[in-house]
Parts: sequence; structure tokens; C-alpha cells
Amino acid sequence: MKCLAMKNIDWKERWRNITTNYSHWLSFILLMVVAIIVSPAFLSWNNLTNLFVQGAVVGICAMGMSLIISAGMIDLSVGSSVALLSGLGVMVLNATHSLALTVLFCMGGGLIVGLVNGLLVTKGRIAPFIVTLATMSAWRSVINQLGQGGPFTVNEAMYASFRNIAAGRLFGIPHLMIFFIVISFITAMLMSKTKFGTYVYAVGSNQQAARLSGINVNRVKTLIFVYAGALYGLAAFLLASRLTSIQAASAGSGYEMDAIAAVAIGGTSMDGGRGKILGTFLGVLMLRIINTVLIMANVPPFLNGLVTGVIIIVAVLAQSTKKGR
Amino acid sequence: MILEMKNIVKTFGPVQALKDVSFTAGRGEIHGLLGENGAGKTTLMNVLAGSFAPDSGSIVIDGSPVEGMTPRKAASLKIRFIHQELNLCNDLCVYQNMFLGEEYCAQGWKIDKKREVQHAQRVLDSMNSGILATTVVGELDTSQKQMVEIARALLFSSELIIMDEPTTALNNQEIMKLFTIMEKLKHQGVTFIYISHKMPELFHICDKYTVLRDGVFIQSGDIKDIDEHKATELLVGKRFVQAHIKDGIQAVITDEVVLKATALQGKSFRDISFSLHPGEIVVCTGLQGSGTDELATSLFGATQLHQGSIETKGGPLNLKDIRSVMRSGIAMIPRNRKERGIVPDLNIRTNKSLAFLVAKHTSFLVDQKREHARFEKSRKRMNIRVSSDRDPITSLSGGNQQKVILSRWLEIDADVYIMDNPTQGIDVGAKFAIYKLVVELAAEGKAVLVFTSEFPEIQQLADRCIVLYKGEVAAHLSRSEISEVAIMEYSTGTHKGSLQ
Repeated sequence: MKCLAMKNIDWKERWRNITTNYSHWLSFILLMVVAIIVSPAFLSWNNLTNLFVQGAVVGICAMGMSLIISAGMIDLSVGSSVALLSGLGVMVLNATHSLALTVLFCMGGGLIVGLVNGLLVTKGRIAPFIVTLATMSAWRSVINQLGQGGPFTVNEAMYASFRNIAAGRLFGIPHLMIFFIVISFITAMLMSKTKFGTYVYAVGSNQQAARLSGINVNRVKTLIFVYAGALYGLAAFLLASRLTSIQAASAGSGYEMDAIAAVAIGGTSMDGGRGKILGTFLGVLMLRIINTVLIMANVPPFLNGLVTGVIIIVAVLAQSTKKGR
Repeated sequence: MILEMKNIVKTFGPVQALKDVSFTAGRGEIHGLLGENGAGKTTLMNVLAGSFAPDSGSIVIDGSPVEGMTPRKAASLKIRFIHQELNLCNDLCVYQNMFLGEEYCAQGWKIDKKREVQHAQRVLDSMNSGILATTVVGELDTSQKQMVEIARALLFSSELIIMDEPTTALNNQEIMKLFTIMEKLKHQGVTFIYISHKMPELFHICDKYTVLRDGVFIQSGDIKDIDEHKATELLVGKRFVQAHIKDGIQAVITDEVVLKATALQGKSFRDISFSLHPGEIVVCTGLQGSGTDELATSLFGATQLHQGSIETKGGPLNLKDIRSVMRSGIAMIPRNRKERGIVPDLNIRTNKSLAFLVAKHTSFLVDQKREHARFEKSRKRMNIRVSSDRDPITSLSGGNQQKVILSRWLEIDADVYIMDNPTQGIDVGAKFAIYKLVVELAAEGKAVLVFTSEFPEIQQLADRCIVLYKGEVAAHLSRSEISEVAIMEYSTGTHKGSLQ
């Protein structure tokens, strides 16, 4: 009897370990199974790569968001930043006819956008929620003013070569998919293999202890926003390439919500301190899978948001019960 | 009110905070409750005020037992507890704070602001506080806030007022003002229980006293029957002193100066100067509110100094940047491990590496194999018991967590180790391991500055002892001068004369 009871406990412990550490894999697999049941065609190469293609731009932003949330902060300015940088990017492309200059401009501009957020949070001592609420409003307004209601459209001269960046394929793999995977990999390495990654989690977990260990908390926070900003810049460049025409008023809108949702579903703690880059990666894909399944199952598109909302709540609820153990 | 607390027992987990304590206070008396930090004074009062339920024991008020005391019940029995830390909402006005939760209402729903302001002002004026009831609390200074706390207790005719270290933020003049009010209320029949570490105050205002030590009732009586010296002895008791760690390990103290602090001034201390030498262990002690907490963090650049300078071998310290303080050869083990030490979401290995990564690690990438090897070295030196260094830090016992935090700082190989209450909340075995480590560090030629208020610790470690009282150096004792009674006398201001 005793032996049996002990075995039982061991098993429970193991199961808890699995659900704690691999919750993102469990939910990902669950969703995949549901998708395959709804439509076996889901597993086609075309459909699978499509998930990546559709998720790439938001996904790259979500990588930046992962760092921000892991450090216990938030960024609402993702969509507006992407709109600003992609609109300006198109202008630079049309003026210079240089892809290299455009991507440099977008990412450099992203650095500055991130630096503004970071300095306002650290030097200005304003809550990240408020800072990014303000920059969200400001950047959207700037790009609307520059666009004057019309779209930013890529010139004939650069159209084909610029469009090829997002639409092209390498050995049959869409470029966007490669971009997304590479950026995710770099971010994962940054967070798991470098001092900087450790500092990010330390700041999110116990800021006081991090500071007393000599970590320059303000610099870490600023650098996080700068890194995220650079990723928004890359995302903006890819978005412009994908659409070739940027609507100032609507480009990138809702990206902040999708990015936060992906991070949350991926198992990163909203209080900071614990995060999983792989989780965010899967989170981005899960959002796309949900979308695809709903279309395949002929659910009215207006209900898409409802289902996504419910899934976010369930994912975060599952996390919070784990924490309370 | 006649209060009797009988055979109160209260445990927190394995710690017995109160062991069969009885306490009595009569009508219209000021009763001093004496004891060292952690003697159980505040716990006893929390039981009385209904904040903690006792494990056993009873509370009898005016002859009738009170069952299941709660804060609300305590309030209806006209018992008021003025806590040591201020419990005021900074964004509300003085009168709003005073009436919080007990507002006057007109027509049953509308706050009767006029009546509240009038009543609050009447109480504030009766105290000669000079505070306007409509001021926003955030604009008051600390001593004024303390007056508001007291005014709040006086607002409704309380019969028993508990004051836990009410004078920490007050100057002598304000203390006298407070005492005048207390005397007046005493003659109206109000009972006070007055918790304080400061002997001159206790002997000035109290009629009776009760001494607690390690959660045990020691003695009670009229305060006129004892003097400050006797009270200190009662507080301290005669403790068994363990064998000496220092005797086994010899350290050579040289004349070189590794750290020189000159005329330091902060929010809670002033005019503090001292120097540290290699091989020396200096203990800085003081009771709660004496300024030791802030001094410890100021030396490391974690709290801003108002005045003064700190020099090391390499010249004046740049206190603006903690990393540069670390690189100048100073390490600080902070107090309160949970809040300031451990990073709960990181594993044991990373927790231990944090300071090294900041101060010594040069490459961008972190090699986990090397991290593990470094951890193994620390584990052997400190005898840390872990199954895997990738387990969460929170899976360790308090003592082992503290050893990890100490290892964090040993790795940067500093010249000066500042340890702020390094044995707080850990078991005896781990304590001794840490004492031994401190002595070994000194033998290696490090200077160690330990902040602690535990006498056994002072006796085990100190070559010299700096005692603070009210933010100033009360005494600078050499090893031969250190005794528990002497330290307690200096930290309670016994030799400071009367209040006026």
C-alpha cells in the first residue's frame, strides 16, 4: 500500500513538472490535433508555411514584447511604431531606391523609437503603460499627418525587387518564415546564453535584489526597449514589402494586442521574471492556427475575436493556478 | 479599563514567539513594555489588538473574558493600536485619514465633511500640533504624520492606547509635547501600553513596566523600583555563551586603511566617521530606528548619502553606480534575503553568479559549464546542500539560500565585506557556518563590517563595535569593552541623561 502511494505522488509530481515547464508545447499540440480533426488538409506544406508567413510580422514584434514583459513591463506602441517606420520606410525606399538603406533606416528608426520609450520609463520614471500609451498615440498621429489620408505606395521602379523580400522563397521556404525563425532563434539565444538575458529575468523577478547585485536596472530596461524597437523596425520593413502600400491609419493596428496575446499564451509570466521565447514562438503560431481552424470550420469571422479572447484567458488562468501551488 | 492577558501562546511555524506570557495593566496607567528586538512585544500587542489569534490563552477586559478578538472588536472595546510604521494614505487629507472607515455620515450616506473637519481640528489643537485638518497628509513631515496617527487614536474616546515606538521620528521637543498629552489623558483614566527601546523616555513617562525576553515573561512592577541599569540587565538576561570561533583562527590586523568613511549623513543618521583595516571585523549595532539600516545601504551606494565621503585604497568612491562600488572592492550582503537577496525566478546557479557576471565576467556569452564549475567551488567552500544547481532557489532552506547569497559576493573577491544582518531568520547551524566564514575572511586579510543587533553575534565576531543611538555614534567599543549590558545601555541612550 505504502509503496503504491509513493509511486502515485511521484507520478503526480512528474505530471505537474511537465504541465509547468511544457505547457506551451501541450497547448500547441492540442490545437494542432483539433486543427487536423477539423480538416486533414491543415497538414499540407502550403498551409503550414502559410501559418508562418501570416504570423511573421507580428511574431517578430512579439519577440521584442517577450523581453519587455519578462522584465515586468508592457509596450502598447507596437502597432503605431510599425506603422510609422513602414510608412517612412516606403518614403526612404522611393527616394533612395536602395533596399539596404531602407532596412537600415527602418531598424535604426526602431532603435530610436525604443530609446524614446526606454528613456521615458527610466529617466522620466513614468510607468511603461503610460509612456507607451502616449507614444502609441503620437506615432500614429505623425504618420497620419505625413500620409495626409493617402497610402504610402512603393514606386514602380523598386516594386518587384522590394516585394520579393517578403513574397520570395528560398529552397521553397518563404522568406518571411526564415526571418521569423532566425529572429526567434537569435532572441532565444540572447535570453538563454548571455548576461543580458539573465539581467532581464532578474530585473523582472526582483528588481531590488537585481539592483543590489550591481545590475544597472535602468540601462537594462532601456536596452530592452531598444532591442524591441529594432525588431519593430525589421517588422515594419517586412510589412511594407509584403503589402507594398501602407495605409497610415490602419497599418499595424492591433499588433500590440496580438503580440501580448502570443506572449501570454506562450507561458510568459505577466508579472515578469519568467519567460519562454520558444513559448512566444509557439504562441504566435497558435494564434494563427486558431484563426485558420475557425475559417475552415466556417465559424462566422466576427466570432474570431471571441474565441481568441477565451483562449487567452484559459491560457493565463492555467498559469496562475500553477503559480499558486 | 483593566486589562488581563493570561498565558498567551503564539507560534509562527516552528518559531515560538510567545511562550505562556501574562500581562496586566490597570486603569489610568502608562505601562512600559520592554524587550529586545524579537522579544515578542509587538506580537503580544498584535494579539491584544486582534491582528493575530493566539494559539492559547485568554484576554480578560474589566473582568469579562473576550473570545475571538478581531481588530473590529478591539475597536469597539475602545482599544487603539498605533503601529510603528505609519499607516496613512498620503493622498488623503488629515481629517479623512483620521476618520477612515469610521466616517460621520449625514442622512446615512453623505460624508459630513464639516463635522469631521471640526472634530479632527479640535483634537489636533488639543495636542498643540499646529496641523490643519484639511492638509493633505503627503505634505506633512514624518513627525507630523506621527502626530496625526496619535490624533487618530484620540479621536474617539479610547480607553486603551498601544503605542509601538511612537517617538522614532520625533525630536525631544515633540516627544515632550506627546508626553504632556499622554499625562493629560492618563488623568482622564486612559491606559497606555508604551513600547520603546529608549530608557530615558520609558523612565520619564511610565508608571509600570513589564519585561519580555525571547517570548517569555520576565518581570513586572513599578518603574520607580528599578533604574536604567537594572532594566537593561532584565532585558538582556544572562545568556549561555558558546565556544569562541575566533580563538581557533588567527587574523592579523594591519594599519592599512581599506575603507575610510568621513562625516556621513543620511536621512536617519548623521556625523558618522570610521575606518576599516584588513583582517578586522567591525560590528555596527543599534536598535530599530537608530539608523543602522540606512547606513548599511548608503555605504554601498544603494541609498543616497546627503553628506560625507567614503574612500578606498583607490581614492573616493563613486557612489552613484553600484557596479563601480563593487569594482572598487566593496561587497554588500543585504538584509532581508527575501526582498533584497534572492531572485526567486532564477535558479540556484544563476542566483549565485549575479554579482560575478556584473563585476568580473568579461565576455558577452555565459558558458554554463564554467558557471557550474564555479558553483561547485562555492558549494564546497560554503557546504551548501543542493541536489542540482539548476533547481529553483526557492527550493532551498533559508540557511542554504543565505549561503548562496554569501557565495554570490565571495566570488568577486572584495577587500571590504559589508554584511547587513547576515544571519537573519536562519537556523543555528547555518548561523555558525556564517560566523566561521566571517572569521575566515578576516584571516584572509579582508575587512568585514557586520550590521547586527544580536548580541551573541557581536560577541562571536567583533574586534570593535560601533553603537548607534538616534542616528549618531553613541560609543566606539574595543573588544575588551564589549559586554551585552554595555551595548544595550549605549543603544538605549542610558548614558545620554534626561530628556530635557
